[in-house]
Amino acid sequence: MKKGYWIAAALTLAFIGFGLTAFQKTLTPYLSFDEAKKARGVVQVMGGLDKASDRYDESRGELSFELIDPSGRRMPVVYRGIKPANFKDAISIVAIGRYREGRIDAEKLLVKCPSKYQGAEVEKAYAAAPPGMKS
Amino acid sequence: MYFWPGVAALWGALFAGLASAVTYFRVDRGRKDLLPLARTTYNAFTICVVAAAAILMTLLLQHRFDVAYVNSYSSLDLPLHFLISTFWAGQEGSFLLWCFWGSLIGLFVWRSAKEQEAPVMMVYLATFLGIVAILCKQSPFRILPPPVPADGVGLNPLLQDPWMVIHPPVMFIGFASLSVPFSFAIAALWKKRWDGWIARAIPWALLTFLTLGTAILMGGYWAYKTLGWGGYWGWDPVENTSLVPWLFTAALVHGMFLQRSRKRHRKINLILACTAYATILYGTFLTRSGVLADFSVHSFIDLGITGWLVGILAGFVLLSVALLAWRWRVIPVAEEDETPLLSRSVLFILGIAVFCALGAVILLGTSAPLLTRISGTPSQVQTAFYEKTTMPAGFLLVLLAGLVPFVSWKGESPGALAKSARRSLAVAAALTLLSLALGARKPDTLALLLLAFFAADMNLRAVLRKARNGKFAGAGGYLAHVGVGIMLAGIVVSGAYARSQRLNLQVNVPKKTGEETLTFLRVVPGSGARKQAMEVKVETARGKTFYVYPKMYVNSRTGQLMANPAIRSSATMDLYIAPQQYDPGQPQIIGRDVRLMKGTTTEVEGTGFTFRDFNADRAAMMRGEQKILVLTDMTITPPDGSRHDVTLRYVFHLDTREGEAEEAAIPGFPNGRMRVLAVSPNDGAVVVRLVGVSKNPADEFQAATVESLAVDVTRKPLIGMVWGGFYVMMAGGLLAFVKRSREARRAILAESTERARPEPAVPATGPALPAHTRSPL
Repeated sequence: MKKGYWIAAALTLAFIGFGLTAFQKTLTPYLSFDEAKKARGVVQVMGGLDKASDRYDESRGELSFELIDPSGRRMPVVYRGIKPANFKDAISIVAIGRYREGRIDAEKLLVKCPSKYQGAEVEKAYAAAPPGMKS
Repeated sequence: MYFWPGVAALWGALFAGLASAVTYFRVDRGRKDLLPLARTTYNAFTICVVAAAAILMTLLLQHRFDVAYVNSYSSLDLPLHFLISTFWAGQEGSFLLWCFWGSLIGLFVWRSAKEQEAPVMMVYLATFLGIVAILCKQSPFRILPPPVPADGVGLNPLLQDPWMVIHPPVMFIGFASLSVPFSFAIAALWKKRWDGWIARAIPWALLTFLTLGTAILMGGYWAYKTLGWGGYWGWDPVENTSLVPWLFTAALVHGMFLQRSRKRHRKINLILACTAYATILYGTFLTRSGVLADFSVHSFIDLGITGWLVGILAGFVLLSVALLAWRWRVIPVAEEDETPLLSRSVLFILGIAVFCALGAVILLGTSAPLLTRISGTPSQVQTAFYEKTTMPAGFLLVLLAGLVPFVSWKGESPGALAKSARRSLAVAAALTLLSLALGARKPDTLALLLLAFFAADMNLRAVLRKARNGKFAGAGGYLAHVGVGIMLAGIVVSGAYARSQRLNLQVNVPKKTGEETLTFLRVVPGSGARKQAMEVKVETARGKTFYVYPKMYVNSRTGQLMANPAIRSSATMDLYIAPQQYDPGQPQIIGRDVRLMKGTTTEVEGTGFTFRDFNADRAAMMRGEQKILVLTDMTITPPDGSRHDVTLRYVFHLDTREGEAEEAAIPGFPNGRMRVLAVSPNDGAVVVRLVGVSKNPADEFQAATVESLAVDVTRKPLIGMVWGGFYVMMAGGLLAFVKRSREARRAILAESTERARPEPAVPATGPALPAHTRSPL
């Protein structure tokens, strides 16, 4: 019986250890624009939308825009997918993705819009089309 | 200002609850004569909480928009069932709902606790008094300063769904009833009564397992059919904080059966009951304190109760840990026995370990923003984290569930097990080969399928065996495991073999996907309660034709664009069509559209266009007409150095939400005409169309676009097995709940006739084990 407990304890520890390594691997830090430029792997940045900067390329299904942080620094973002509804009304946008060639290649956008509701839907997530998806 | 009857009811509940707890304490110190008073004050507590809930409900039904809560969540246009659901649309109301169930459940608890009544009820009251105190501070009965609004803000359109009406009440039954095992466990530690509590607390743990599980399923199904991202589970903090307590409750239920059958393993359940309750408090803290504000698609607004939530959480965790540490050495531990590794006891312990480890890991992921904040940069884990970690846990759980029916508590020889497992192994192998033939290829999913089918068949045989022996009522656990096998197979197949395609459908132009041909036909306008929808014709490869109607409409209150998928279910798969974007198309246009920002000069072909300011003339609106006149002041500076001030007129119709603009000449361009296309006062921007300003006419040519609808089309094989398996699992849980409730009632009745005889001192070893030592089969 004691052995049963030992196995259970070992199993739990091994699983939590496994969880911790997965945790470190999949952690996406919130970074400032400067930090994001140096980071490797998936990061997330947050900023306001420069409302004059967004372009939508219909043929490639690509949305590009620039985020501005409170100190006025800018970060170009590209997002392959359909332009989120109410994009223009965004108060702030979180872009989650990798920094490549001078811009964030976003896998996911969290668009925060003004809302009078307390609860869901103040913010909405949009996921980019998976790489294998045909258009 | 507060609506005083509501506030009085809440404070009444707080004082009655405190009085009851204090009286119970004195009863425990020997004043047995005070017991009726303790019960009466508890009943008064219940009456006050129910009254507070009734008052809030009445205010909502009466549209008392002067009450802040009513104003924030309800409105005149809501039908009755949605109006009722506004009760739990906000934090205060959902806390009140939690207490409402808790106060009612307590009536059963004091009747069933018997000689443990005083300590159990003290702890039980404590678990709700904190929340009542929060409600006294953050009252749902606050009244807005005058004037009284004519209508409320309304209910979030996403929550206007029948599933969202019943999801929260069911979930809070689960939260409230988990207070019972926790209270019994604390009382057991305090009074050193190690075994009696299990039988009484099992039904409540099972109730939490059932209600929380059902609520999780309803939430998932709602997400699947409403949100349109194609899944039912997004690993969002709100979802995780209901899943984790459910996993710990599952562990607790298993632990309780183990202790009940074996009369040992007492420490496990004391720890689990405390942990399961702590995860509910921790989840409440995570989702209601605003600590995750930037990390979730849900928004969490800090109401200023974070300190209270931390205090309550810390209080109960400290109490649990301190009591466990204090009593650790006196909790009776069974003597070493010769139970072999391959025994039901060990399988149960391993299962409990996996539940706990999985719950802990999910909690770790959910807490990532909080944990990483301590070390500097707040970070979040990707959903891949959860997918990676749940997979191996799923493997272990179905493996254990598959072995359990044919392994007895005392152990089984591997040979005997292999013999009884042979048939199920053959069935599972056949089904897995069938999946392979149908196109399943990934080795890990095939392995998981094999185990899931094995678990389902082993347990199904156990259920049938029980039923043949006339003991179907005792087959709840096996039936639940059948469901687990089916559900896991469904999760794996529908997840791993879902295929998605994003299509841009031009109106009336058929587009072929792998198996179907889709044609977008028209927009079906909404009327009354029916929402605007897109009519899409689907022709299957076999020549069948049907029409689907994904919804896409603008919520009239918020101006938000809402999109709901259309789902076509067949026995083997769901065709999931989620609308993404609708382009009404436009005819060929001559003109250049320029977006001008307030105060800045934009140059077009050498001429500067400066947008100075808007002037809104609301005179027409004041006269009761549904329109606003917007005057746009601009300065135009042609290359010759002259300056011309121009005012453009634009009339916005509030009813149709369309604008109407007058054309004006452009100074410096003989053929130039300009007009306003759109104004957006929030951005301080105006869009104007310029015609006849370009040297090259091609610059002013905008090609026509065709009306089109962009959709994500997903095929989800066997997703019905996810729901179906869940129903089977819940049916098993229900069967167990009925059986254990009957047992608990019998035990209580038996005790009543014996006049509250104290529980005998617990022998260090379990008593000679009667019937259930043998394999139950």
